Amino acid sequence: MRYFLQKLSQLLIVVFAVTFTVSLALGAIPNSEERILAAKGSGAINEEEKNKLLDSLNLRDPTIVQYGHFVKDFVTLDWGTTFNGNQPISTSISDGLKISIRLMVYGQLIALLIAIPIALLAAYRSGGVFDRASTTVSFGFISMPNYVLATVLGLLFTVRWQLFPAISEDIGFFASPWEHFKNFFLPTIVLALPLAATYMRLLRADLVNTLQSDFITTARAKGVSTPRILFGHALRPSLFSLVTAAAVNVGALVGGSVVVETAFNLNGLGRRTVLGIFASEFRLVQVTVVVLALVYVTINFVVDILYGFLDPRVRAGRMG
Amino acid sequence: MTDSTSVALPHDEPTSAPKKFRRRGRVTKWISALWLFFIVFTAIGASWLPYVNHSCDQFANEDLCTTHLDTNPLLSERPPSWAFFSDTTRPVVGDAPERFGVFGTDTNGFDIFSRTMFGARNSLLIGAMSILFGILIGGALGLIAGYVGKRVDKVIDTIMNIFLAFPALLLAIFIVGFFDSGTTTEAKSRSIVPIIIALVILSIPPLARLVRANTIVYSQREFVLAARSLGAKNGRIILREILPNVMPAMVTFAITGMAVLIVAEGALAYLGLSVSAPTPTWGAMIFGGQAKLETAWWISIMPSIVLFLTVLAINLLGDALSEKFRIREAIG
Repeated sequence: MRYFLQKLSQLLIVVFAVTFTVSLALGAIPNSEERILAAKGSGAINEEEKNKLLDSLNLRDPTIVQYGHFVKDFVTLDWGTTFNGNQPISTSISDGLKISIRLMVYGQLIALLIAIPIALLAAYRSGGVFDRASTTVSFGFISMPNYVLATVLGLLFTVRWQLFPAISEDIGFFASPWEHFKNFFLPTIVLALPLAATYMRLLRADLVNTLQSDFITTARAKGVSTPRILFGHALRPSLFSLVTAAAVNVGALVGGSVVVETAFNLNGLGRRTVLGIFASEFRLVQVTVVVLALVYVTINFVVDILYGFLDPRVRAGRMG
Repeated sequence: MTDSTSVALPHDEPTSAPKKFRRRGRVTKWISALWLFFIVFTAIGASWLPYVNHSCDQFANEDLCTTHLDTNPLLSERPPSWAFFSDTTRPVVGDAPERFGVFGTDTNGFDIFSRTMFGARNSLLIGAMSILFGILIGGALGLIAGYVGKRVDKVIDTIMNIFLAFPALLLAIFIVGFFDSGTTTEAKSRSIVPIIIALVILSIPPLARLVRANTIVYSQREFVLAARSLGAKNGRIILREILPNVMPAMVTFAITGMAVLIVAEGALAYLGLSVSAPTPTWGAMIFGGQAKLETAWWISIMPSIVLFLTVLAINLLGDALSEKFRIREAIG
């Protein structure tokens, strides 16, 4: 319980600090008013509207009041509209979130599907040819920036062989499964391969350790078949690092797949933020940042709590 | 990103992992060292080395730009001279060569090889500067947090948690975007400074955590106790007793960290948020070729290869170092 409260208080402090900084950032941006008006489209706005817009952003209020307004607006989901075009920000965010979450889920699934069998095979004959080959290849993928991978795969699959569209469109699975697959295949692969490499290395290292423990020797002595030893005995106790990394990535990838989204022109949450910065859509950026940070922090909090629940050593602080 | 914390084991403890699994060939180590040496050498000497062809836009000063091609300037992209399979996309004017240079030329007709070497200068400079400041700030915070402990530790930890509350790349984007002055209509001219600041801020939390974890381990050891009972001041204990022991882990982590930061700079450039065009970085070059990927693949691919090989080499060396100093990686 003490552990829980400690983590909760940490979470609250971080949430407060994040929202506070984000709400103040707007005022601290150099010549923010002019940029907002420029984003709105200069000339198309009269004095009265201009004042109304600036008032709604509370730019001229003292810091604390600004923060208060920001939190109130955020909590009551009164997120406002974009400066240019008056689109409601909430739709923009939910649309972006849909794409980002889809990418994240696909990427993680493919990564795990690739990583687990390879790690098992590699760890089973550690030091062998397959192990060394897979370690080398995974090292290569870890060292390959995702924009490089996106460029290379894009060149091969869309330009040379024209198997997939160069610009992915957000086509729902139920609208057309085949089109959906075609549009999401490359982004998913670009996201998944480096992840798979990381996961594979983590799992392999843990598996090698597990496979040296006594209960594996016992199982082997009893004549348990190799697949059963690997899947039934060795896999579960070796999953700790892998599950931690995968869980942290759930939060990180929702906003962190900006590069992949940009490479394939998918309007995910990360890309919307970057475009927002370019277009001086500060309100949109502010809200998106807070949403992303909240998702990220909350997931990490849940992971922490679950581990404290599953493993008493974590609660006692011995695992750091 | 997962934040991994590595802890250097005290040297008298046996490592748990059997050695043969972690050993990588000596040859790869030397090849990567050689490659890095080559990159650094060309980066430093980019302005003086003879192969540099008409990269006039590297220079603010026109006088420095003396290496024009004698014949017609190639005002269009040309494939590399070895790329027999690639057609020139635009008709060849006059006696201009059909293929040109080791890496080909870009849309302005500039030699990509020389641009890559100038790019090395910027990319490496950004990476090195950022990790240097990261070590100074993050290392200091980590040492203080680990040594003093208690409330100071909590405060520093909370500050780090705030930075870690954002996905890493997005945080960098906000910082660079934040420093962007001017409106959307103005041409973006960005200096190197905001990028370095953004990358420094990215590198501080992991470094601070690593140093903190190591400091805690070492500050409980006998030699620290001995120094303290001899009357050494806290500052002296931190700098003379703990810092040298924390150093190997910190430096090893910083080397890998530099690779991460070079990649991150590239990602910023890929999103259009890096140094403005005349001074290329690798990321900006890769980004610049994106639009031409269909007709002129070499504009993006050649710098990509150099970037990949450099990151790979740094990672391989970092791996070898962490083996040497027996740094155990754990996810925390």
